[in-house]
Amino acid sequence: MMTTQILYALTGCVIVALGLRGALLHASLLQRIVAINVMGAGVFMLLIAVAYRGPGLPPDPLPHALVLTGIVVAVSATALALALARRLHAEQDDD
Amino acid sequence: MKTMTLHVFDGLLLLSIVALAWASLATTDVRRSVILFMAFGLVLAVAWGRLLAPDVALAEAAIGAGLSGALLLAAVHRQPRPLSPVSSNDSRHQGPNGLSIVVRWAVTLLSAALAGTLAWALLHAFSSTPHNMLPQAISGNLAASGVSNPVTAVLLNFRAYDTLLELAVLLTAVLGIFSLGQATPGYQPAGPVFDGLVHWLVPVLILMAGYLLWVGAHAPGGAFQAGAALAAAGVVLRLAGRSRIGLPDGSALRIVMAAGVGVFLLVGLSLLLLGRPFLGYPPAWAGALILLIETAAMLSIAATLLLAFLGGQPESTGVKAAAKQQREEISL
Amino acid sequence: MTDAMIGLVALPLAGALATLLLPRSATTMAIGTALATTIAAGLLLFGVATQGAMHYEIGGWSAGLGIALRADGLSALLLMMTALVALAASVYASAYFNAASERTRFWPLWLLLWTALNALLLSGDLFNLYVTLELLGLSAVALASLGGKRAAVAAALRYLLVGLLGSMMFLAGVSLIYAGYGTLDLATLTNMVEPGPVAWTALSLMTTGLLLKTALFPLHFWLPPAHASAPAPVSAVLSALVVKAAFYLVLRLWLGVFATVVTPVAANLLGLLGACAVLWGSWRALQAERLKLMAAYSTVAQLGYLFLFFPLLLALPTGPARDLAAGGLVLLALTHGFAKAGLFLAIGVIQQRCGHDTIRELDGTAQRLPATTFAIALAGVALIGLPPSGAFLGKWQLLAGAVATDQWVWLLVTAIGSLLAAAYIFRVLGHAFGHRPYTHQPVTVAREEWPALLLAAMAALGLGLAGAPVWGLLEIDI
Repeated sequence: MMTTQILYALTGCVIVALGLRGALLHASLLQRIVAINVMGAGVFMLLIAVAYRGPGLPPDPLPHALVLTGIVVAVSATALALALARRLHAEQDDD
Repeated sequence: MKTMTLHVFDGLLLLSIVALAWASLATTDVRRSVILFMAFGLVLAVAWGRLLAPDVALAEAAIGAGLSGALLLAAVHRQPRPLSPVSSNDSRHQGPNGLSIVVRWAVTLLSAALAGTLAWALLHAFSSTPHNMLPQAISGNLAASGVSNPVTAVLLNFRAYDTLLELAVLLTAVLGIFSLGQATPGYQPAGPVFDGLVHWLVPVLILMAGYLLWVGAHAPGGAFQAGAALAAAGVVLRLAGRSRIGLPDGSALRIVMAAGVGVFLLVGLSLLLLGRPFLGYPPAWAGALILLIETAAMLSIAATLLLAFLGGQPESTGVKAAAKQQREEISL
Repeated sequence: MTDAMIGLVALPLAGALATLLLPRSATTMAIGTALATTIAAGLLLFGVATQGAMHYEIGGWSAGLGIALRADGLSALLLMMTALVALAASVYASAYFNAASERTRFWPLWLLLWTALNALLLSGDLFNLYVTLELLGLSAVALASLGGKRAAVAAALRYLLVGLLGSMMFLAGVSLIYAGYGTLDLATLTNMVEPGPVAWTALSLMTTGLLLKTALFPLHFWLPPAHASAPAPVSAVLSALVVKAAFYLVLRLWLGVFATVVTPVAANLLGLLGACAVLWGSWRALQAERLKLMAAYSTVAQLGYLFLFFPLLLALPTGPARDLAAGGLVLLALTHGFAKAGLFLAIGVIQQRCGHDTIRELDGTAQRLPATTFAIALAGVALIGLPPSGAFLGKWQLLAGAVATDQWVWLLVTAIGSLLAAAYIFRVLGHAFGHRPYTHQPVTVAREEWPALLLAAMAALGLGLAGAPVWGLLEIDI
């Protein structure tokens, strides 16, 4: 049990909760997208905290690879969501 | 003493991360929310560095904060009035966006319960001895993997199949964006200061991309970070109002988009035909094959991220393809 | 034969690239890829039936270090269903899209969706499952918004956000598992996982995320608008395959990795939600004005039936009775896949020929489009659960299991649900048979109408009459 790991893991949980709350409560589409990204960042923090082994020791590289994949997937989804929002906005303007 | 300083640093870092996340989601001004989110991403990158995850820190700064932030800011800029689908029925018990106070408190409690349960489970997980089976397997097989950076080894060799599918995810997103419309109109040509900056910034970014790609084999870096740097060069050119931002036209663009997945599949299937397992590189060739795949992936990632920033099919491609189709439909 | 597993992922992926790079011959290449993938699925099914469960370590790295692909009876059957449904829908889609620009955008995304489905059904690694879920979600959303109509884009955006929420929860569960057990390989985890805070929380998180994606009541709100506004071949695949994939994962987790962790209370909760889905979905389907909306609500209801099996499977002791129930579940899932796909394709034909899909104004479709109306009738037989459809066998097992474990409430729910299904199907058929005589010769376009007919026939007749091998195949476990 390492203090650093626990500290970062608990913060990760808090950030996941903040993100979830934001995603469910916000009316603005963009802020909901931001909230989902924040939630993702919280989960990434959990993974990196799990990977940390101590100040001198090499960390576990597997969660790092998983988080890298997760970041790329998150930006793809964000980009698609924003394009859909932009198209929706264009349709609203035409009404 | 040193541990004490480190803990104080950790405490401050984590406090600022939580504060930034809270502020970003508490404000009702969307532009402020996005900027705070970008700051959140950058401080997060510092945290990844603190936790000895430099590859992730690079990717978070470039993609998580940088490119996501650019996408979101561009979206905010385009939509002066907020997109709120909720119609407000006036009632005494309403919060700022029309949801009742009860619902807001219920969701807050639900989120808190989720955090609590997750924390409880994590503490339980940490109390048992850490499992080292996989880290030991990774370091044991690192020599045969073709690279010496363990994260690159996992991404491009041990779990290469995940990376293949991830490149497919990128491709899917950009194809979806293409089908939704043309790219946003470009920016005004930049003034002399920005233009001058672009003159040396873009070559530096391109060089940095090449360096990150090469160094990823034995130090933090790799195809994703390199691709993000290349995409940044394109974004900078776009912001400076240039019409040519480094993307090829027509079928050449489609080839670049497909290159990452394509080269990955080709290598995997060729190895299968040669009698080896799918994506099972022979140790002598592993380093070279990984570099080949990473180069193609870097180009694909850069093109995809840049196209995502453009928000649709680039004008020249659209016009050319449309004219070509018109000619085809007439001749049928 | 293990190469068939690689083929099932590599073929549609290569096809997607090919249709992207050579848009002019896209349709031909797409149909060719569809045929090749279907053959690969057939080979895999044959291989599993004769040689037992298969597994393949990608890259040659041992499970845990690398990612393993696994195929057993259940996944082989679902892969075959996916292939046949996707093939039929591809044939229909080649006739559905008129504009060349629409077609060039459609095929790469379609084949990427198929890749995601196959990769998900074959995956043996938890994080790989997350990546396949994301690929599935993004391609489904992109396809659902094709055409760019306001309703479709709005529904697709909601689908995307809900899907992302689900994926994040799933990933949180995966991270917890890695923290607690140090591996992501499903087979290894099945032996390691034991009841405790880590397993309970991870299972809850992952299940909630998957329930969002499989649209179980009350998390179903996103499905009807998304499936009703999408183009017809896309709706077919969304209802028949995409939501089924998330359900398959719930089944795998509950009966496989977390088998020692699940409690009867949790299973009863799933059953309760399933019951609500059956009743609510069927009721809303009865009230629907449009065919596609009716079909979408019917999907919500039919998925509810699948969840009714969970309390039964947990209450029955391991043995022949439990195996019978499990086989019934799979048969019901397979039948629904074929039937719903056939129904949506048939509705697509009606929508294109008549210009609308309003139920009240269907006057005379039976005379004008006899093959399509027959397809709707056959699909209806399978959705209601009349013999000789596979759904009849499935529901029979559901009722038998409910009686055997004294859980009579599921019996009541199934009966009411089937009656409501009969009501909404017969309502459609009633309007389809008009009163005025139709003097012209009905025109049948093969490419458009045969896929729906064949799928519906498979559901109503094929799976029921030849459904016995399902039980044999399910005994082949990972």
